[in-house]
Amino acid sequence: MVEPVEQPQYLTFRLGTETYALEILHIKEIIEYGGLTEVPLMPRFLRGVINLRGAVVPVIDLAVRFGRPATTIGKRSCIVIVEVQYGDDWHDLGVIVDAVDEVLDLPPEAIEPAPAFGAQLRAEFIRGMGKISGRFVIVLALEHVLSIDEMAELAGTSESLHPES
Amino acid sequence: MNLEAAKLVFYEESYELLAAMEAALLAVENAAGPERGEHLNAMFRAAHTIKGSAGLFGLNEIVAFTHLCESVLDKAREGELAITTPLIELLFTCRDHIGGMVDAVRCGVAAPESSALGAQLKSYLDDTAQAVPAPAAAAMVVQQEHAGPRVEVESGGDHVVSSDHWHISLRFGVDVLRNGMDPISFIRYLASLGRIAYLTTLYDGLPNPEDMDPESCYLGFEIEFQAAPNVDKLTIENVFEFIRDDSKVRILPPHAHIAEYIRLIKDMPEGMSRLGEILVRGGALTPMELDEVLGIQRENAGAGEHRPLGTLLVEERLAPPQAVAAALDKQREHAAQKTREHRVVRVDATRLDALIDLVGELVISGAAAQLSASRSADSALIETIASLGELVERIRDEALSLRMVPVGEIFSRFPRVVRDASRELGKDIQLELAGEETELDKSMVDKLADPLVHLVRNAIDHGIEGSDARRIRGKADYGTVWLNAYHESGSVVIEVGDDGGGMDRQRIRNRAVERGLIQADEVLNDQQVLQLVFEPGFSTAETVTNLSGRGVGMDVVKRNIEALKGNIEIDSVAGEGTVVRLRVPLTLAIIDGFRVGVGQVSFVIPLDMVLECLDLPTDTGNSRQHYLNLRGEVLPYLPLRELFEVDAPAPARQSVVVVQYGSQRAGLVVDNLEGELQAVIKPLGQLFRGVRGLAGSTILGSGAVALILDVPDLINRAAKNERRKVALIAAREARHPALREEDRP
Repeated sequence: MVEPVEQPQYLTFRLGTETYALEILHIKEIIEYGGLTEVPLMPRFLRGVINLRGAVVPVIDLAVRFGRPATTIGKRSCIVIVEVQYGDDWHDLGVIVDAVDEVLDLPPEAIEPAPAFGAQLRAEFIRGMGKISGRFVIVLALEHVLSIDEMAELAGTSESLHPES
Repeated sequence: MNLEAAKLVFYEESYELLAAMEAALLAVENAAGPERGEHLNAMFRAAHTIKGSAGLFGLNEIVAFTHLCESVLDKAREGELAITTPLIELLFTCRDHIGGMVDAVRCGVAAPESSALGAQLKSYLDDTAQAVPAPAAAAMVVQQEHAGPRVEVESGGDHVVSSDHWHISLRFGVDVLRNGMDPISFIRYLASLGRIAYLTTLYDGLPNPEDMDPESCYLGFEIEFQAAPNVDKLTIENVFEFIRDDSKVRILPPHAHIAEYIRLIKDMPEGMSRLGEILVRGGALTPMELDEVLGIQRENAGAGEHRPLGTLLVEERLAPPQAVAAALDKQREHAAQKTREHRVVRVDATRLDALIDLVGELVISGAAAQLSASRSADSALIETIASLGELVERIRDEALSLRMVPVGEIFSRFPRVVRDASRELGKDIQLELAGEETELDKSMVDKLADPLVHLVRNAIDHGIEGSDARRIRGKADYGTVWLNAYHESGSVVIEVGDDGGGMDRQRIRNRAVERGLIQADEVLNDQQVLQLVFEPGFSTAETVTNLSGRGVGMDVVKRNIEALKGNIEIDSVAGEGTVVRLRVPLTLAIIDGFRVGVGQVSFVIPLDMVLECLDLPTDTGNSRQHYLNLRGEVLPYLPLRELFEVDAPAPARQSVVVVQYGSQRAGLVVDNLEGELQAVIKPLGQLFRGVRGLAGSTILGSGAVALILDVPDLINRAAKNERRKVALIAAREARHPALREEDRP
């Protein structure tokens, strides 16, 4: 018997007017938006934390991280829970998206290299351009988009607890 | 079996034994008569066990050296050797040397030179009647005869198989060599427990030469072994501990022993219900053998046939039939009785952590249940849930206490530290310990030990004056260093004190200026001056001694304590002494909390730190100065709304939560008080590692996340910021006195 070749699958989701794709391997689950607790003095991309069945999980506003205006919460807003590796451990992070579209198969040959410019996004955030029924969607490079080191650095220096007044 | 894992066990065990040896040495120094004998025995056992384990790994240097120690100790306990101060001194050095050799093996570096120490030990042996040969000489060379199957063991030994011999049959597993075990080293080690009277190599497992894998072991051995006195079955079995998993080892006792087993089994006082246990207690069977035979029994049962344990034991040649019969008698005799024995259970720390995690979840669910119950207004339900809540609270406390260990575990190493340091410096020092029973989290214990050792050495080196200076000041000739531990408002406090000369503020200041740590005209309060000694690169010792004064350490001490979310305070009175106070949180897992709200945000304050709550006087609301009058005392306060930049407007009435940390008090201004709760501390994770003023988060009964305030950090930061601001303004004014008026808005 021939083993079926593992076809990489991607989740597409909407952020404002743009559509992005994430490899499904990184995704743990998708939950409804709600129950968010803000953490004071954090940069805007760190929206807060939620209680995910007893674990405290940070939630990130991807739009702010991409330099777009903050996401306004609507009826279809979701939190996508993804796993990110840091050191030897895997950490859960939540990502706010405006809407989740679909899960689809995308063979490696259907992913084009990222363009030199034009995506209005930091180049290392883009893994490639996925071709879906004639359109291109940006396939995100999760390890850079949600780099814990970089984000923690931003969170640590963004504000001082006691601003000189 | 993994050799590296086995070695880790060896290191661990060696350190434990060395610690025991040290304790015994210290005790021998102060004991007399029969007590001494017991301590000498303890030392002997420690040295002996290390030797044995080292032999398993072929660590011949350690074996040789510990053997010498053991021989000297043996003579001492037999009374052939007087216990003199130089001998004790030598034994201390030897203990450290063994530790050094173990460390060397662990780090993979060359072992320290031991011939000088060895010679000293030997001189003690030669002084008395008969010299004891070193084990290197005793360990025999095993040589294979050309054609014959026999291995000549210890030339000149008699080959008569008598009934006084143990019979050991070994069938090495095919993989022993691949697993890094050398069969010959086991036999060599066995020889150190007695005498191998006769050894037959079984080579019928050998395949054809062309099929032979040089990395496989095909050999078996039948050994007639004459054990040294006191060597029992368990000791012999331990020799083969590391190969038991994949090899077949059978140990049959000499006839004399069988009689002994039967006698032991008959004399057993308390009730035993299981055959295996009886045999193990009597020494006829070792626990591992029992496990093995139980495994066989299960296998047989799986195949549909049930066979009694006794039959299997005899068939597998694991226990002599006579002993089994005696044990069966015993079993019948006590069939009704049960064993009641106080036992210590060793539990894997990760399983304990998993339990505490679960208890944490239970606490959260309990809070949720309580919330829905109070909404339902069903009084029966509310009552049930309340009693459930009480149980949960008790389970929580019990579970947390499993992780708690008495601080005495750290203190026990200090008699030696003080003894060594005082000898080295020629100071007479007495150590006093108090509060050893104070408990703290196990994970803290390991991290507090090094900072404490450093502080104690520092106290002896820099704190205690020379005896001449002490006499002039009218103090006792000997200096006193004390360690004390106690609980205080949710923290554990450990004090290191001395009755020495106290700290010289002027000298500290001068040194700090010299080192560029402060400006010459900087205004510092007393505590700030004293805290300068924790700055990196600070050291006031005029001469660098062996013990301290290298300027590394005090800053590391402070860093280590801060990493535990603790802090350090110094009290010092010139001419009378110094007390260094370490304060660390009691636990890192679950706390009682007090919930407050600011705007939409909930914060949790550790309840132990909360003293009282009061209304914020309305007239202070808009003042720039943040302090109020608390029954005649000045209480500085921090408005959390400003601190955390909460957007929502302040309500008309705000409250102040008065908190205390160490000697500092402060008020936290909040919108409303929401009551007590049990908070399971959930770390905020790597992403929030730069966050300040927050110690973590917790999940409320409603499922929402609340943030836990880091009160010490808030207070310290506020104090530091204000100082900096004041100093900044003062400096600006000093530089531009002419501009002073314009500078002010």
